[in-house]
Amino acid sequence: MFFENKNKSILRIRVKICGITRPQDAILAAKAGADAIGLVFYDKSPRTVSVAQAQTILQTLPPFVTVVGLFVDADPAFVSDILTQVPLDILQFHGEEPPDYCLQFHKPYIKAVRIRPDIDILAFIKRYTHAKALLLDSYVQGVKGGTGIVFNWQQVPAHLSKPIIVAGGLTVDNVSQAIQTLRPYAVDVSSGVESTKGIKNADKMAAFMKGVSITMAKTSDTKKVPDAYGHFGPYGGSFVPETLIQPLEELQQAYEHYVKDSTFLAEFNDDLHHYVGRPSPLYHAARWSEQLGGAQIYLKREDLNHTGAHKINNTIGQALLAKRMGKTRIIAETGAGQHGVATATVAARFGMECVVYMGAKDIERQAINVYRMRLLGAEVCAVNSGSKTLKDALNEAMRDWVTNIDNTFYIIGTVAGPHPYPVMVRDFQAVIGRETRQQIKILAGRFPDILIACVGGGSNAIGLFYPFLDDQKITMYGVEAAGEGLETGRHAAPLNTGKPGVLHGNRTYLMTDDNGQILETHSISAGLDYPGVGPEHAWLKDNGRVQYVAVTDNEALNAFHDLTRLEGIIPALESSHALAYCKKIAPTLEKNKIIVVNLSGRGDKDIHTVATLEGITI
Amino acid sequence: MNRMNRITTCFDNLRAKKRAALIPFITAGDPNSEMTVSLMHTLVEAGANVIELGVPFSDPVADGPVIQRASERAVSKGIGLRDVLDIVKTFRAQNQTTPVVLMGYFNPIEIMGYETFVQTAQSVGVDGILTVDLPPEEVTEFTTLLRSHEIASIFLVAPTTATERIKRLCLQAEGYLYYVSVKGVTGSANLDVMAVADKVAEIRQYTDLPIGVGFGIKNAESAAKIAKISDAVIVGSALVQLVETEPQDKLLGTIGTFLRELREATDAP
Repeated sequence: MFFENKNKSILRIRVKICGITRPQDAILAAKAGADAIGLVFYDKSPRTVSVAQAQTILQTLPPFVTVVGLFVDADPAFVSDILTQVPLDILQFHGEEPPDYCLQFHKPYIKAVRIRPDIDILAFIKRYTHAKALLLDSYVQGVKGGTGIVFNWQQVPAHLSKPIIVAGGLTVDNVSQAIQTLRPYAVDVSSGVESTKGIKNADKMAAFMKGVSITMAKTSDTKKVPDAYGHFGPYGGSFVPETLIQPLEELQQAYEHYVKDSTFLAEFNDDLHHYVGRPSPLYHAARWSEQLGGAQIYLKREDLNHTGAHKINNTIGQALLAKRMGKTRIIAETGAGQHGVATATVAARFGMECVVYMGAKDIERQAINVYRMRLLGAEVCAVNSGSKTLKDALNEAMRDWVTNIDNTFYIIGTVAGPHPYPVMVRDFQAVIGRETRQQIKILAGRFPDILIACVGGGSNAIGLFYPFLDDQKITMYGVEAAGEGLETGRHAAPLNTGKPGVLHGNRTYLMTDDNGQILETHSISAGLDYPGVGPEHAWLKDNGRVQYVAVTDNEALNAFHDLTRLEGIIPALESSHALAYCKKIAPTLEKNKIIVVNLSGRGDKDIHTVATLEGITI
Repeated sequence: MNRMNRITTCFDNLRAKKRAALIPFITAGDPNSEMTVSLMHTLVEAGANVIELGVPFSDPVADGPVIQRASERAVSKGIGLRDVLDIVKTFRAQNQTTPVVLMGYFNPIEIMGYETFVQTAQSVGVDGILTVDLPPEEVTEFTTLLRSHEIASIFLVAPTTATERIKRLCLQAEGYLYYVSVKGVTGSANLDVMAVADKVAEIRQYTDLPIGVGFGIKNAESAAKIAKISDAVIVGSALVQLVETEPQDKLLGTIGTFLRELREATDAP
């Protein structure tokens, strides 16, 4: 599960370097740290060795390196003959050898499985009960022995009962991903560390071993979600049209590179400080706390950021990335217009072309933000398809991206979308939780008991929660929009009432009908008016780490007024949902309890909505 | 007849005659289910070799405005995956030879459940599935089920697909490969035949499967060009546009005439 890494053990991945043909290569392999070498006794392979060659290699090989002999559908007499002349430790059968055949030599053996799309790996394991391990290789029609091609790692079930050795096209560039995806017992490399067929290269072997070591350290160290493909358990992933696969891979590589790049991080932090105005204050709402008569309430003041919400933390990060990737055009989707404004703002600052897609209905409800975006130089495109709201704006932005991928960077505004967006946006927003950890220690002398944040897509919530996830004593509430009431069906609460499905590039909880059509949502707050939610929230719901609740439009409105009157802070209607849940539970708690609410945005943009609801024309 | 073989047989026959396949796409349930069945028969009579039937979805991110509107019209009438399977069943009552491929998005299948969907699809006579937002990395369980029910998994290759990935897609693909001829959504305008020819030749190095080309073929002229460089000409938006604009009483006639023009162009030496 998610938190078992508390008592983590160091991951150890063994390495076999296969297809050794020269003594000097065997010595170099051992020197680089290989656990095993493979000798090929298959005359159709370019790496085949004679008995004499094998004997020379083994004479020079230092101790504690396992010698594996590879055979492909060989005559049993041939195998026995080799065994009498060459002291092999383990046999590896790479053809169609049946279990009885493999056993007859009374030597430990490894069975290679070529991964065809229809292979049943579990049945294979059952069949070869005596095999010490399974070696997984790619299936290429007509080719036996090593193929040098990568197979579909996703096809391998997790938690197999036998040790797995991964082969097939491994190189220094992909071995890390192979380890993270498959968690194998060992990796097997041949052509990936060669200069030419059968001739190993010392530098490539060293680089490969280093890649494995780094991955072992890193993998032992990190949380198990998401995996290399962005899966949080069954959620997340990358459900996109083929055209987007390559751009997403590029984005992922760029992100993984720059997130560790000190210059990039320095620029990001500098912008957060001088341009956004971070750190945002943590404010003790003493009057409101007292009026509610229970727990002490602290507000994380994301409303005080430049542009008035947490959204800018993410748009700064993604725009800096876009600049480094050489993209000149930015696109974004927006619901309430906060993310659109935050995107238009950074596009203006970095001198990039900017197009924001916005549902036609939202354009009507959020005229001020539309004008703000236009003032900032962005083109606001009305989306008239579907329900004409946020989800349709996302659809249209994805269509734009597919069409203009060469020069365009798509800044997604929340922790949804295909991998790596949910991770990337979370990491950019996690500054909220990191600051809170420090600030609450100074203000209250200890960590909070409860965290509360509203959840639409869920970026402000994950930003606050993520740095606290390992602190098991802290209870977390994500608050969805119950709209006119969960029972009415007019709401935007997929985690409370929806079911898992696939939308906008990821698997997550969705509001969907029996035909799999996405349902229209309703919330007083345009920013929560979305039928899906970030996949990490789906995962945190299922594993119970975060509790997801919902409050109605009216409850949110009441909290909006309370905070405005008692603390002189006009909150966004989105954030008012978090406040409304706080209002429900604070009175039930002791006065020494501490709640932190993420005040994710300011309410100026909502004044028209509130006035209209109260029959006032301004 | 074995389903995978319905597609294979179709392409084998065409290959023997040295002709490219003509694959029309229409959105199921637009303008209504009965008309869809009639349209399918009309398309076959006018020379269609395989029919791609679009499953209406509320959020078709890979589609241009024409197919989006068709999808919206069908969704607004409540047409869903179950109805599409019924349409295939009705079609199969009279036609047991023309392969039918369902093309759509993953959520309707996810919500129906893989087993129910695959079993029903097999029993009504679906031959292949093309799920636009389901790359092969995500499909383990579902593809295994499709295979055990003899339904082909058809994959897209895009202009942005890197060589290594093309190789892997080719290892997993069945039926035919669908090359997306432009960076963009369905019905896009700027088809670059030379670039398409290069990419098709590249894919050809890694597979013996037929290679179809779609997205951006809208008339006899572009169909003729694509037929010369690929194994199948896939036409969608141009047909769906006619379904939108033609009065219903003239629709079958107009569609038939249009497809016959494409057939002639496709077969032209």
